[in-house]
Amino acid sequence: MIKQRSNLRTPFVLCVAILACFSTPTFAQGILGGHVTGNIQLDGQISRRDTIIGSNDVPEKLLTNARADILYTNGDFSAGLRYEAYLNPMLGFNNQYKGQGIANYFVSYKTQDFAITAGHYYEQFGNGLTLRAYEDRYLGLDNALFGLNVMYRPWKGVTFKGLIGRQRVYWGMGEGIVRGLDGELNLNEIVKPWEESRTRITLGGSFVSKYEDDETILSEISGYKLNLPKNIGAGSVRLDLSHGGFGLQAEYALKGQDPNIMNNYIYRTGQALWLSASYSQKGLSANIQAKRVDNMGFKSVRSQTGEMLYINYIPAITKQHTYAFLSMYPYATQSAGEMGLQGDFMYKFKKETLLGGKYGTDLHINASLIRGLDSTIVGGRGTEGYTSTFFGTGDLYYGDLSIELAKKLSNKLKLTTTYGYVAFNPIVEGHAGDIHHNHVVIGDLTWKINKKNVIRFEAEWMGSDSHYDADIDDKRCGDWIMGLVEYNFTSAWFVSLSDQYAYHDGIGNYYNISVGYTKGATRLQLGYGKQREGIICIGGVCRQVPASNGLTFSLTTSF
Amino acid sequence: MKKIILTFAATLLFGFAMAQNAKIPENITLKTLDGKTVESSIIQNDGKPIIISFWATWCKPCNRELNAIKEVYDEWREETGVKLVAISIDDARSASRVKPHVDGNEWEYEVYLDQNQEFKRAMNVINVPHTFLINGKGEIVWQHTSYVDGSEEELFELVRKLANGEEI
Repeated sequence: MIKQRSNLRTPFVLCVAILACFSTPTFAQGILGGHVTGNIQLDGQISRRDTIIGSNDVPEKLLTNARADILYTNGDFSAGLRYEAYLNPMLGFNNQYKGQGIANYFVSYKTQDFAITAGHYYEQFGNGLTLRAYEDRYLGLDNALFGLNVMYRPWKGVTFKGLIGRQRVYWGMGEGIVRGLDGELNLNEIVKPWEESRTRITLGGSFVSKYEDDETILSEISGYKLNLPKNIGAGSVRLDLSHGGFGLQAEYALKGQDPNIMNNYIYRTGQALWLSASYSQKGLSANIQAKRVDNMGFKSVRSQTGEMLYINYIPAITKQHTYAFLSMYPYATQSAGEMGLQGDFMYKFKKETLLGGKYGTDLHINASLIRGLDSTIVGGRGTEGYTSTFFGTGDLYYGDLSIELAKKLSNKLKLTTTYGYVAFNPIVEGHAGDIHHNHVVIGDLTWKINKKNVIRFEAEWMGSDSHYDADIDDKRCGDWIMGLVEYNFTSAWFVSLSDQYAYHDGIGNYYNISVGYTKGATRLQLGYGKQREGIICIGGVCRQVPASNGLTFSLTTSF
Repeated sequence: MKKIILTFAATLLFGFAMAQNAKIPENITLKTLDGKTVESSIIQNDGKPIIISFWATWCKPCNRELNAIKEVYDEWREETGVKLVAISIDDARSASRVKPHVDGNEWEYEVYLDQNQEFKRAMNVINVPHTFLINGKGEIVWQHTSYVDGSEEELFELVRKLANGEEI
């Protein structure tokens, strides 16, 4: 149920008018109070067919995504709008983005104690378990709320937020109405004697509800129409506590009966628990996170599949790896149900010690384990669906371990070596198959020749127990090697050459050459080569990207 | 539609005509590492230069930049009085790792969390690392995206100019 963008124009006129009104008095008064800032991005690609890596023909030859954000600020007042164009959408972006227009506009008035925004806005309650409206331009993700958002601080240390709106989906708006309230108390600011205490405590709570009209969904067995709830609520409580180097954060969320297409219209309530404990001092830190998620997918439109229209956000707690082979099998949160543990440890070996050497050595260890829930199916559509035990776990979904040593060898050489292990269950990406076990070794050497010239070398190896199988067509299988050389002339120019090659049990040879130029906040990058099919993960969200073969370019600038 | 475009263009042109350096937005909500809510107006340095660096725990060049500056930060502060403010754009996935990350790396910077990316949007940051240089009046006088080993020296040359009251 998506409304088309026919009514976009009226608010746009309004927005421009308000923008103009606010700037005119300034002009009349001759006060130089207002500022226009913004940013522009243009990406494009020319891709050719390649049967081995699996890239398809692009009938348009050239695909481009563009956007420009314009922001006007005058004291406590600000207004902005964003132009987006997908002519046509680049590979990996949903085809429903096809087109161009003003995708986002808002006016906002904000003082220290009070803020109001009308139009499109982004917001997050706590850790996002009940509500997070956000965007990620590289993933083509934008679930901005369109409506009203208010923040009020009646006393020091007390913050209330209230909002209402509907969510953006591509060029339209989801039918469901989202309403939310959030309160946060910083006890150290409220309770006078605790003001200077080393123990810092913040408490919070939120309630979010969505309304959506009835529709006809039939039970699979009886054939009767399901009695769908029109209003669905979710609430959470949270705690943030720290004492010197110790920290503890927790959030627990509950969601009412929410039969939807993602859980096959079952009436089980949802819940999520997230915990993080850490200790740190200079040169040493440890962090452990745990979470349990059970039927917690929460969308503003019950029949919407895919990555759009999520009201809440369940973070993946696994580490965001950035080396190519370590991130080859990235983990995506299973909001239907999962149990996870993640640990992180950092230590600096001091200078002039056995392991520290002349300049010191950094050690970084990370491990995680994610499993499914221990659940028993009790029925289909229109029933409770399944039951689960709170502490029980099911199948292994994902596990990883990485050990990284970073060391400055001399004034000119810096070396980082990494060993990684990743176990990955393809069920996470929605298809059955054996669990893949991969070992990865990485060497990363930076050579600062002089003030202006820097060369970086990267070599990676991945050994896997998986074999390429044409029926499943997972092009990440097999054993791989990779080499990369990157030459930088000051911070202005760079050229990089890289190649990933499946030398055993796999297929594919992904070579790439890139050239970039940066001046201030303007950056131009050109690339030629083959892009791996796979999941790209930025900021904790992952999305499938098809293979491409050809030229890519990207221009970004801020002003 | 034409009218709208004209109005908008006029507004824009007018904005550029006033061209003076934009200031740091003041009322953006940020969080300290111990959970306190603060406004972006907290970013102050008694009329001396400020470096604002947008980063994330998972961003390798960001970490290289902040680690490289760490080595020379005391000298920079002594010579110019400059202060570095590091804005983490980590979201719920990694925000709870920011404090351990900062301590583990022995960074002495002022660090704030921008989980909702409100400050990132207000400062028109597209990718991290993105570094701003702010003069004593709170105006943005220079910005740069990306980091290459050694480019912190170019940055410090500019800080030095600012501290000496020169234009950049």
